[in-house]
Amino acid sequence: MKPLSLITGNTRGFSIPSLIIGIVLLGALFCFPSFVQSPYALHMMILLFLSTIMGESWNIIGGYTGQYSVGHAAYYGAGAYGTLVLLQKWEIPPWYGMWAGMAVAVLLSLIIGSICFRLRGPYFVLASIAVAEIVRITVLNTPAVTNGAEGILLSDLPPFKIGGTVITDFVSKVPFYYISLLLAIFTIVVTWLLQNSKLGYYVQAIREDQDAAHSLGISLSLYKSIALAISAALTSLAGSFYAIYIKFIDPSTVLSLDLSVQIVLIAIIGGIGTIYGPLIGALVLVPLSEALRSNVIAQGLINCGVVREDSGVGIFLKEHLAHAHVLIYGILVVIVILFMPDGVLGFVKKKSRDWGLGTGKGLDR
Amino acid sequence: MTSSVLMQAIISGILVGGVYALIGVGLTIIFGVMRVINFAHGDLMMVGMYLTYFLFTQLGIDPFVSVIITIPTMFIFGGIIQKLFINRIIGSLPQNQILLTIGLGLIMSNSAMLAFTSDYKILTTSYSSSSFNIMGISISQPLALSFLITAVITLLLYWFFMKTDTGQAIRATAQDREAAQLMGINVKRMSIIAFGLGASLAGTAGALISPTYYIFPQVGSAFTLKAFVITVLGGMGSIVGATLGGIIIGVVESVGAVTISSDWKDVLVFSIFLLVLLIKPAGLMGKSST
Repeated sequence: MKPLSLITGNTRGFSIPSLIIGIVLLGALFCFPSFVQSPYALHMMILLFLSTIMGESWNIIGGYTGQYSVGHAAYYGAGAYGTLVLLQKWEIPPWYGMWAGMAVAVLLSLIIGSICFRLRGPYFVLASIAVAEIVRITVLNTPAVTNGAEGILLSDLPPFKIGGTVITDFVSKVPFYYISLLLAIFTIVVTWLLQNSKLGYYVQAIREDQDAAHSLGISLSLYKSIALAISAALTSLAGSFYAIYIKFIDPSTVLSLDLSVQIVLIAIIGGIGTIYGPLIGALVLVPLSEALRSNVIAQGLINCGVVREDSGVGIFLKEHLAHAHVLIYGILVVIVILFMPDGVLGFVKKKSRDWGLGTGKGLDR
Repeated sequence: MTSSVLMQAIISGILVGGVYALIGVGLTIIFGVMRVINFAHGDLMMVGMYLTYFLFTQLGIDPFVSVIITIPTMFIFGGIIQKLFINRIIGSLPQNQILLTIGLGLIMSNSAMLAFTSDYKILTTSYSSSSFNIMGISISQPLALSFLITAVITLLLYWFFMKTDTGQAIRATAQDREAAQLMGINVKRMSIIAFGLGASLAGTAGALISPTYYIFPQVGSAFTLKAFVITVLGGMGSIVGATLGGIIIGVVESVGAVTISSDWKDVLVFSIFLLVLLIKPAGLMGKSST
């Protein structure tokens, strides 16, 4: 079966139409900044790419290997702090600091793996949370290196050199757009390579049945650790990018349990163990939570005449809805777990199959 | 450091540990009966705290008296959550259960934020900062009161589980769900009671701690983590273990705060947690190894 599909060139997920759609989409993404100058639109796209990177990297350990780490904020924070601490204390440019952050994240993942991978199921989840919390408290309480609870504010970036050209214009979001786009593509390519590699098959075997995989001679701790290290490295990249893009980090934004949960939810809501899942998750979550954050929804309700602006409810919504953008994560995850156990992607696929459509659009009930 | 300081720390650790024990016992009952780890446990406690706060500020009911209202209210709240959500995921993948309860917790804490903003609220009673002395050791009055109430509730709980039919039916369900069902026990009803009990214990803990703690929407997650540490330490599903675990964690925190530093006391707690997971995952009172 496998050789045949190789000859016909029709491997999973890479039919000719989907390949064309993919290329067109990529082309459109690369041209996007030349047509849209609005910094806000670019910002949204960057957030989308960032969420995609986080979701895809978690997917490697959570979706493919089946180890539900709820402590990925530790790696994200390692990337963010690694980059900014080096930049601030020793003026090491972020494109070197990034690698240092990644090294810290990988090292951390090996330590965490050696502790947590002996545990299974809920115990693994609890241990991963505990380790991430230890990291957060440590960063919070070593102000000499990390500025503690104050966090690190980056006032200016050193110029960025690629070949002969020097990019100094960091106010513009365009360079960040391309960096995050490339990082997102890189993460997806790594995931795709992993999915179709021997390592990928090993970790998926571990996900399906640890004991069976072990009895077939697959070293559980080795392959889980490799998967976690890759996942941690990619997550740290997202953290480094976030730190340079937002220019401010503190333990409660880049190391919190909430962040770990959000990373998991991106993948879960989209659908785990697939390449498109986290992408869909990001596409669902980022616009929704941003709409809440920027008060689009409250304003929309007022404009539609559902609530009057000067009424108590209107004022209340305008004032408070923005603070509760995480609420949407909670509601979505409950809906997804109860009604779409395979995520939005799995749900849409199943529905379209039920209706006998090949690629039909599934409508939510 | 003098031994009296240490003694002081141990005493206040035990007093706080009583409240921790309530949170842990609630979590362990829910886990025992349904095999669901409730990640929204701290958020249930937060709901209890806000309930107490409003009973106090709006109706002037003393936080320790308001427990009489908090217990049934939280019981019904927990029962509804069980019937609407938890019931559907009993026996499904553990990760899905965890995520569902995380989602429920997020909904609770963010709804609280929506309704009451993220401001810290402080419930000040006339005795909030008063204390009395026994043999040179000063004991905070609200902590001592809350410990007393905790002890009464825990004793009642033991009586309920050991002597009443419903209590025994719940224990039977926890031991073997299917066998219990075959014996004619209404397992679904027992689950609702168990989650209701868990929620009311968390809510009570919230009520008891509110005179001495800040009240804010995100207060839950720290206590959820603490509840896990306590239940794992005592052994998942063991009520005696959770009681013991709560007191141990209370003492570790309190003694850690005076001997090391209060900034690092949580690191100490989590380190103990990891050590227990690695060395004796069944916990102090656990029967089966996992």
